[in-house]
Amino acid sequence: MVTKTKGVGDLFKEVIDKGLCTVCGACVGDCPYMVFYRGKIRMLDLCNRTEGHCYEYCPRTFTDLDAISNRIHGMPYGGDEIGSVKRVVMARAVDSKTRSKAQYGGTVSMLLSLALDNGLIDAAILSKNTEDKLPSGFVARSSAQVLEGAGSNYMAYPALETLNRMPRDSKDRFGIVVTPCQAIALAKMVASPPEQRVNIGNVKLTVGLFCTWALSYGRFHEFIKNHVTPAKIRKFDIPPPPANRFDFYIGKDIKSFPLDEIRDYRMPTCAYCLDMTAEFTDISVGSVEGTEGWNTVIVRTQRGMEIIEDAQKKKRLEIKELPDKNLAHLREAALMKKARAVQAIVEKTGDKNDLLYLGLSDKLKDKLLAHKVTPQGGH
Amino acid sequence: MNKLAKDPINLVVAGVGGQGNVMVSLVIGNALVHEGYFVTIGETYGSSQRGGSVMSHLKISAEKQFSPLIPEGQADVVLGMEPVETLRVLKSFGNQNVITVVNPRPIHPVDFTGSGGGYPDMQSLLGQIKSLSGKTYTVNATDEALKMGNAMLANMILIGALLKSGLIPLSEDALIPVIKNMFPKAVAENTKALKAGTELVGILS
Amino acid sequence: MPNIDIDAPGSNQLFIGNEAMARGALEAGIGFASAYPGTPSSEILGSLSEIAKKRDIYVEWSVNEKVAIEAGSAASFAGIRSLVAMKMNGLNVVIDFLSTIILSGIGKKGIVVMVGDDPSAHSSSNETDSRPVAKWLDIPLVEPGDFQEAKDMMPFIYDVSEEFGTICLLRSVTRIAHARGNIKLGEIPKIKHKARFEQFLDPAAPMPTPIMCIPSPFRHMFQHMRIDKVREKFETCSFNRYVGPEKPDLLIVTAGSGWLYSQDAVNALKAEDRIGILKLGTLWPLPEKLVKSCLSRADKVLFIEETDPFLEGAVMEYAAGFSAESKRNMFYGKQTRHLNSFGELTPDAVIKAITSVLDIKYAPRDAEYMKKVGAIPQDHVMDRLLTFCPGCPHRASFWAIKDALHMDGRHGFVTGDIGCYTMALGPAGFFQTRTHQCMGAGAGLANGFGQLGRFGFDQPVVSVVGDSTFFHSIMPALVNGVHNHANFTLVILDNGATAMTGFQPHPGTELTAMGEPAAQISMENICRAIGARVEICDPFDLKNTTRTMLDLIEQEKGARVAIMRRTCELVRQKKDKKPYKMQINPDKCLGEDCGCNRLCTRIFRCPGLIWDASIGKTRIDEVICNACGVCADICPEGAITKEAVA
Repeated sequence: MVTKTKGVGDLFKEVIDKGLCTVCGACVGDCPYMVFYRGKIRMLDLCNRTEGHCYEYCPRTFTDLDAISNRIHGMPYGGDEIGSVKRVVMARAVDSKTRSKAQYGGTVSMLLSLALDNGLIDAAILSKNTEDKLPSGFVARSSAQVLEGAGSNYMAYPALETLNRMPRDSKDRFGIVVTPCQAIALAKMVASPPEQRVNIGNVKLTVGLFCTWALSYGRFHEFIKNHVTPAKIRKFDIPPPPANRFDFYIGKDIKSFPLDEIRDYRMPTCAYCLDMTAEFTDISVGSVEGTEGWNTVIVRTQRGMEIIEDAQKKKRLEIKELPDKNLAHLREAALMKKARAVQAIVEKTGDKNDLLYLGLSDKLKDKLLAHKVTPQGGH
Repeated sequence: MNKLAKDPINLVVAGVGGQGNVMVSLVIGNALVHEGYFVTIGETYGSSQRGGSVMSHLKISAEKQFSPLIPEGQADVVLGMEPVETLRVLKSFGNQNVITVVNPRPIHPVDFTGSGGGYPDMQSLLGQIKSLSGKTYTVNATDEALKMGNAMLANMILIGALLKSGLIPLSEDALIPVIKNMFPKAVAENTKALKAGTELVGILS
Repeated sequence: MPNIDIDAPGSNQLFIGNEAMARGALEAGIGFASAYPGTPSSEILGSLSEIAKKRDIYVEWSVNEKVAIEAGSAASFAGIRSLVAMKMNGLNVVIDFLSTIILSGIGKKGIVVMVGDDPSAHSSSNETDSRPVAKWLDIPLVEPGDFQEAKDMMPFIYDVSEEFGTICLLRSVTRIAHARGNIKLGEIPKIKHKARFEQFLDPAAPMPTPIMCIPSPFRHMFQHMRIDKVREKFETCSFNRYVGPEKPDLLIVTAGSGWLYSQDAVNALKAEDRIGILKLGTLWPLPEKLVKSCLSRADKVLFIEETDPFLEGAVMEYAAGFSAESKRNMFYGKQTRHLNSFGELTPDAVIKAITSVLDIKYAPRDAEYMKKVGAIPQDHVMDRLLTFCPGCPHRASFWAIKDALHMDGRHGFVTGDIGCYTMALGPAGFFQTRTHQCMGAGAGLANGFGQLGRFGFDQPVVSVVGDSTFFHSIMPALVNGVHNHANFTLVILDNGATAMTGFQPHPGTELTAMGEPAAQISMENICRAIGARVEICDPFDLKNTTRTMLDLIEQEKGARVAIMRRTCELVRQKKDKKPYKMQINPDKCLGEDCGCNRLCTRIFRCPGLIWDASIGKTRIDEVICNACGVCADICPEGAITKEAVA
């Protein structure tokens, strides 16, 4: 067992009330007691079970990273700053329509669209923006539907709720797009499969998103509303470093905000996260420093390899090697996030032996505590 | 009207709110007044109508009007529409001579403790009822009423069984005018239920 | 059962006390009756309403007690005997009017206020004793000691009202009002009522009518004089009597239901030769001469009365005035803790008080039996907590309110009011109600909470009221809230009836108490006219009701209204069959597993759902279930299904 399982009362005591919740959605969707509402996890009634999936799969209850890494990637945690790597490339969708709708190079949309087409999955669990520009989960069953989910608004939202809502007896095979914290929750589900939920073995493809932090669903939405009518926004964008901007696309115009101003709306809990590149996935995707319109892609598993090769073969993705300098920078940034997180946790607990939810080898812990950190940068 | 062997006769009708406790005591009470007896009926009522324990106290006298409540340990007959409620009444009003007529169909309480403990074991429950009664009759009134197509007929079946217990100074015939008066649209089925009650009753051994 | 106006003088009927009082009022020749429903008084007007047309009298369910007493007084002013009925809470509502009509006096015909007290608060928010009001305001007060008296006192007290020109009080308690006993009927007079309000049209007259409460001090003095005259009449009234030996060891002074309990206790203790009972039917003004003569019979005096030591205090106060001229009595009762001054009287409490004063041994059951009683396992007589009826719309309404408040997450709460929905302070309504006082109090409190934002208060406040309560006492609170921008949400649970007291009509329903078409008042139109935002929803549509509640509680200021409209299940089932066939698929039922943990039987708790521990699944009790279908929407697994019945 990865986690000593407790109940919902402990989940609130140890995670939610301490401000550690990432609203990943692992605890909502299949449970009548817990709901996600306006950026928060709320309890509708008291479930007095002493053991629950809500506690068990939460990425912020005790998580033995070595055990999970062994389970997913067959190796202990922390060997590489960017996790298990089979291949790292630059990619973008060949189709310009996909690229225009997407963030960066449209690689995520294209991978899922391909997985639907080549029969790897029957349904893709994605998010799209509501009219009011709040992220909401949905299930895409065709390439056209996948495109509805293209683009991000950088707000934390419970992607796993959508998965949890799938019928228990569903025979569908799923692909899902997740942030690093959601990937950890998924990995916990894989390590100890739930009995009364959708079969976790049916999740055939996990696509991770690079993430330095997410914006608070409630507070950032207030910010948006204070500046523009949300319905008028066409797209949100954080151009690759060193742009240091947050752009709202409104019609043909772009309204830009300094990224520093936007950082005030980060989820405070993101400071305690040490995964930048969504390490527990089949394939992870982010931007490319200094190059617009392309994605950095880390292929982590055999399944990830198969889909990226198929994409290349079927000319859905244009792929080239990632320059060494970029890869080095990526590793540096990933290590920096880990070090910042561990040091922030120790600052919070005041005890080097209390890393809250993190189950880390002493060796890695000491290394991260000793690492010199700089103030937090881009996204 | 005859002089009663014991005066007053104290009858407790016990059940759960919504079962028709008030109706049962009204049928019996009206028939007795019609026969010339003094009857006093005290009822728990009001908010206890909703799923709570309810009981009616009937005091039957050939001589005078009594108060609407029976003192501790002074029941002569208990008509139990529900087993737990029957035992509850015996706990307060029973004595070694009391005659008990019980419908062994449980009504489960809402689980407000969250314990899910459920309903006590029926055999144990009936055993307790028997040990606290001088004589115990059972009648599967609800089952029979459901066979007749209307669960509420259980009440008339129970009244029939009560008459059979012997202490209440009423004959089946004395109830017919009351049935006609109170249930003008369902005289036949109520009369049938009354009769069924007198036939179904069995002694708990 | 016969109607209360059955034309069979001399026959015996089994009436509840309230029906007996209504019959008595008919025999007294009333032409007008008004009331607001309240347990234990509702059946008085209820039974009169059934025969009003036939007997050519006017009967009205008034919007509240104050309007009821004022309407009834107008009838008296115009020469018609009138009856006003209410429970003790209603008496508080009418005190202002009472305190002035005792000064102005009444018209040519009598007016009686029947007030039903509820010792032990079986169906009330309190158990206040009404009798001190009579002493406080100088109002003649009678209280029936049995069912026959409940009827017979009515003509008597109307005569008193007219002879002395004052409004009179008749108090009864639950164990008389709601108990049944034999009533020997009298004649109902045939009266052709004729109403006219007499005025002095001569400009030289000092006042155009005599029915004024000014000049107050003068009229106050006059009321004191009236009370002294009434006392004289009460001295010889047959409702007061002494029974027992010439010189008993113990004198019981009692009234109301205490009279029956005292007789039963003396009988049970076989102490007829040791105990005498002074039973009073006229309680205020105290028949002092009669009391004095009885006090001289015994040294020991025990007072047996419901709730407060009212007679006890009055008799001791009076006795203190002549204690120098005669021997002193030993007084026992509530002040000596032989009886409680809270909770209702019981035969056992009376027996215990007597045996304690007279040192009599009494054991109702032998030790062997008590041993068996002691051995009953606790779980064999588990408590049954009150809850809403199966199919009650309130359960769904509170489910939606609870979900909305919990989703909102700011620790919002419900201020409660008086009705079936009062049960929401317990598990029936998921413990949502946090305040519980009198009718209208929840909305009044919400007005106050709704102004505390300036002091950092940020919790949503939801005042939940019933439809009848809305008309009775909520409208002024809503006006206040809208006018002063109080921040709260008013929820009106509109089930189309005054359900708790027996489905009486109210201004929002179709018929009057006389059974004639009423001018139906629209609550939403009233609220909108006041200026409140109004949303209307069906509580059985849980999703929409929850969403509506969230939207309302998130509004930042102003009083706003949700009307949750769904017919009371007890009213619906009188007209229609069960709407659905309900079933549970045991294969889908998760039971206690993660993802459910018995949400339906542990949290929703409809009595129609049973947890079957032996199989670890929920079952439906077909006898109890009314097939409302709401649990099918509660079940997270779709294990409970509803299928419409053709």
